[in-house]
Amino acid sequence: MDEIAPWEQFVRSTALHHFVYVNEPWLWPTCEILHYLGLSLLLGTVGLFDLRVLGLAKGIPPRAIHRLIPWGVGGYILNVLTGILFFSGHPDQYFYNDAGRLKALFMAIAGINILLFYGTTAFPEMKKLAPGADAPMRIKAIAGISLAMWVGVLICGRMLTWFRPPFFH
Amino acid sequence: MDAFLAFVEGSDLSMWIRGDSMLAFPTIITLHTICMGFLAGASSAIDLRILGLAPGIPLDSLRPFYPLMWLAFAINAATGVLMVIGYPTKQLTNPLFYIKLSLVALGVWLVYRIGTEVLRAAELGQKATTARVKWLAVASLAGWVSLIIAGRLLEYTHRWELLGIRALT
Repeated sequence: MDEIAPWEQFVRSTALHHFVYVNEPWLWPTCEILHYLGLSLLLGTVGLFDLRVLGLAKGIPPRAIHRLIPWGVGGYILNVLTGILFFSGHPDQYFYNDAGRLKALFMAIAGINILLFYGTTAFPEMKKLAPGADAPMRIKAIAGISLAMWVGVLICGRMLTWFRPPFFH
Repeated sequence: MDAFLAFVEGSDLSMWIRGDSMLAFPTIITLHTICMGFLAGASSAIDLRILGLAPGIPLDSLRPFYPLMWLAFAINAATGVLMVIGYPTKQLTNPLFYIKLSLVALGVWLVYRIGTEVLRAAELGQKATTARVKWLAVASLAGWVSLIIAGRLLEYTHRWELLGIRALT
């Protein structure tokens, strides 16, 4: 690699980078454990909600299973925080990485999808659905995109290792 | 034992798993991660419901999620065996591997117990969330957290050597 880009120089000049760098032997595995706990919470709560909206386990009133979502949000926050630590420790490993870029894209689409769900009539419509009721196509599409994006984020996360830039050791 | 490990490690299948194919180790471990996240996450979500979160979810209505959870377990058993074939010495000589295996057995046994006992009682109109059953849910949650810790640390125990800490192997 020729020259370190200004943004990367900035990340590497922060106290956070120094903190991760110095404490990496114990901090990195600890953050990975938290990251995996977070992804399980996210997949287990948001995933089950999406599957119900898509038509599996229709006996569940959607608004009742939506009560699990705050736990998924908790898992997501845990993963954003640990993700920031990973990135500040080795920014080049994630930035110059097709899997990392695709992961960011999937997260952005998932984010827009969440805005579409809570910012439109989809959310109040979902709350009115009775046990056994089939969700309208529009809400099913949002649930399908959500499920696909989070699985995509997971695939890309796992694939980061094999798409690291060649200069990374 | 050494002869057996050498035999497995020298097999064509083992060498393919460790090789350069993106369909080999990267795909195997990605499937393992997705299914772990879904199984541990969905089981934990059901545990949280048993412990009183989202009481609007009828317990027996959670049943349709079970076939998917068993499918995730089947994929993880298969991908787990493949990863052991790929790195038999690294896994089978590490005490942590056997701890993880025991935690898998515990987690899956609790999924079975909760799946049959609790959900069937709910279906029959009996009281499903007794104090004993709540302990099963607590054990299940603790089991998944421990499993994720053990699973993540498996990837690090060989690296401790590089840091001057005696490896577990």
